[in-house]
Amino acid sequence: MGPELASILYQFGTNAAFLLLSALGLIVILGMMNIINLAHGEFMMLGAYAATFAVHRGIPFPLAVIVAFFATALFGIVLERLVIRRFYGRELGALVTTWGISLILAQGALLLFGPYMPSIPIPGGAVSAGAFSFSVYWLILIGISIALVVALTIVYRATSFGLQARATMQNPTMARSLGIRIGRIYMLTFGLGAGLAGLSGALLAPTTSIAPFMGQQFVAPAFITVVVGGGANVIAGAVGSSTFLALIETPVSLTLGTFYGTMALLVMALLIIRVLPAGISSLGGRLKLAAAR
Amino acid sequence: MRRLLHLLNGPHDLGRGPVFWSGMALLGAAFLAYPTVASSFGATNTAYYLLNIPMALGLSLLWGYGGVLSFGQVAFYGIAGYTYGIVAGNLTDVAWGTPVAALVALLMAGLSAAAFGYFVFYGRVAAWIVPILTLVLALLLSTFLGLTAGYQWRVGTVQLGGYNGMTGIPSLQIGGISFQDYAFFYLVVAVVAFCYVALRIWLNAHRGQVLMATREDMLRTELLGYDVRLEQLRAFVLASLLAGVSGLLYVQWGNYITPSAMGLQQAALPVIWVAVGGRDSLLAAAIATFLLNQLTYVLSSSGNQSALVIVGGLLVAVMMFSPDGIIVGLARGRWLSTLRGWRGTARPREATNGQ
Amino acid sequence: MVSDAADTILRAEGLSKRFGGVIAADGIHFRLQRGEMRCVVGPNGAGKSTFFALLCGILRPDSGRVFLKGKDVTDLPAFQRVRMGIGLTFQTNRAFHALTVAENLETARRASAGGAGDDAHFRAAYAAFELAACSNLPARELPHHQLQWLEICMALRRGPDALLLDEPTAGMSPGETMFTADVLKTLSRDGLALIVVEHDVAFVRKVAETLTVLHQGAVFAEGPVESVTAREDVREIYLGRVREAAG
Repeated sequence: MGPELASILYQFGTNAAFLLLSALGLIVILGMMNIINLAHGEFMMLGAYAATFAVHRGIPFPLAVIVAFFATALFGIVLERLVIRRFYGRELGALVTTWGISLILAQGALLLFGPYMPSIPIPGGAVSAGAFSFSVYWLILIGISIALVVALTIVYRATSFGLQARATMQNPTMARSLGIRIGRIYMLTFGLGAGLAGLSGALLAPTTSIAPFMGQQFVAPAFITVVVGGGANVIAGAVGSSTFLALIETPVSLTLGTFYGTMALLVMALLIIRVLPAGISSLGGRLKLAAAR
Repeated sequence: MRRLLHLLNGPHDLGRGPVFWSGMALLGAAFLAYPTVASSFGATNTAYYLLNIPMALGLSLLWGYGGVLSFGQVAFYGIAGYTYGIVAGNLTDVAWGTPVAALVALLMAGLSAAAFGYFVFYGRVAAWIVPILTLVLALLLSTFLGLTAGYQWRVGTVQLGGYNGMTGIPSLQIGGISFQDYAFFYLVVAVVAFCYVALRIWLNAHRGQVLMATREDMLRTELLGYDVRLEQLRAFVLASLLAGVSGLLYVQWGNYITPSAMGLQQAALPVIWVAVGGRDSLLAAAIATFLLNQLTYVLSSSGNQSALVIVGGLLVAVMMFSPDGIIVGLARGRWLSTLRGWRGTARPREATNGQ
Repeated sequence: MVSDAADTILRAEGLSKRFGGVIAADGIHFRLQRGEMRCVVGPNGAGKSTFFALLCGILRPDSGRVFLKGKDVTDLPAFQRVRMGIGLTFQTNRAFHALTVAENLETARRASAGGAGDDAHFRAAYAAFELAACSNLPARELPHHQLQWLEICMALRRGPDALLLDEPTAGMSPGETMFTADVLKTLSRDGLALIVVEHDVAFVRKVAETLTVLHQGAVFAEGPVESVTAREDVREIYLGRVREAAG
């Protein structure tokens, strides 16, 4: 396997991992509650901040990431109890409100902690092959993304929470009449989505500068991934969307630069929604229909 | 003409009838008289609070009356502003350069909205996709323009200016009048008044009724034979033209524009003004825009960094407790009943799940 | 391809639709003649609403085609089919509550620039339902049955050749139901083609000339009202009567 091919695969892998990590928490919440959390970028920022605080108090980075997950998850649960639950069934209202929250969080972080935070050094070194060098940490991130997908699949398919969650996603009224406490499911799901955002923020923190508005860089990629993926099938949508988009983004950014790569994502999203308004995750249903004929 | 007046007095906004219109006339007169007592600086500031109103009116039309939420109106604000800067900057030696530039700017805003809107509305996507994609559009435009710092980034003789933006944008000049200072103030007042009146007439006329029908029950409207995709696209383009008008006025105000005019914080503001005032009333949106612009300006010019936190907090509070908007809530007497409710019960209302 | 006889208004060929594991429509063939009065009936879950939605264009079929006045409209969205000359009403009442009766009708009238048919049927229905008396009332103040009548008039406003009604008398008293049946019968005699999806047996008996019985997504029986309702197997699918053991 020539170094050029390895480099292209590496680029593809890192792009896909970045999209997946950016979007996962958002998709979990969208899939369950049909709510788009516009404060998602700020949740990632909170995770990055939590990890930074932990690391600079001597906690080893992997542990700091776990801390970030739980801290953000807890924050998400509190937010859900206080604010979000008033907006079930009112998607646009939830959108606008979470937007307000994102403003408060970002500006609040600026006021409380100032414009800069000390950065986290990137763990691991680099591996080289031929003329190319690959960051070990990014390779780890690719691995972690895959592991997260597997873990989520296990949670949804093999745990009692997952079963109740899937039932609630498909038919909340029915679930409630079966005795499932859907309020608790919503709360835990929002917490999970928030925690995943915080986790991703912590994981991506070493690769970027840590500042109050750092969440913004994830907004475009995360939202595009979610739009293309759709909420019909959380895991399939997330994986399918990030893979597909990375396939488009990688050649464009290799030839024209990262900005044009992101621009290509928007163009792709516009084309896809024209053809598949409910996103890629609805394709599963359509394929089954076609096979059945 | 009588028909226009009848439409103007139509029911689809707060306030109608002789008392209301007399009040509005007084308000208009007050604004027109204002420059006689204010300094040029004061007039320019007040003009700034006013110039965002067309964009807010457009968003109110699109969201409040049409049921379509766009987070990216600032994109068209910026497109119009930058286009004007480019065209006017290149036509400085031409007599009618600046009015032509203004028209081209509006045309660009409208065309880009039509192109973007085609993909979004003809795809019949879920409601939440529109705010997300319009936001992404604004962000990407803002990012793109932020990258245009180099000397090679110019159109004709005009530099795009990258992160620092485009400066030295020529002021609009029609005949011998250059619209600066007091003249600019009168221009803004005239434009805002015209937009309000025109929109109010439009909303009470047939197309506006259809738009509201689309919001109330899209399927029903379609099954009567209306092309709802087209209705939504039309509203979107109209709203974007209005955002472009505000963008045009903005570059007159400061003779500059930067990519942050389309950035994440700026994108939030029109939504906040319209949500806080009351999205299904043009008048409420206009008043809230004026007051909130004044608030943020006063706060930031006194060195207070918390303007955006306050405004964000206001948005969350309004969405939670007065989702119709503060001004609309006041006008429709809802606050009275809420207050009565609070006095009546001692314990807080329990939040309930679902609808 | 079989071309339509000149008096076939609406035709469906092999309409099929699945939702996940459920076959909601299974190869339905259907033909409506000019001036025909057809009721579509069937037990719950038979696929009446799906069939109705497929004819209107709210749903796209997985396979099969729909023809309106000889033209293939399968790929056309609902609003274009309406413009071609059909009128539609729904179970969940869909007048615009904030608008007055007159405004509702005006909205229906101005749906597209030209090409409206003759509004004779509309005028007849409007007079029969006596809606002129509430012309300036907001629709939300109308009692339920008048809202249904308003909806029928809205669907007739542009003079369609065919009217598709989905349970138009749901929630009406027996008297109102019979009155509605009378009005519809008169319109049918005056040349309007009608498809009514209905539950109410009395209504069906009074109004229909021909009946289409759906069962599990397919056409179970079709023909003149008398002969179809007399059939033992038709009654069985409604009542689920267990057959007596054969000899």
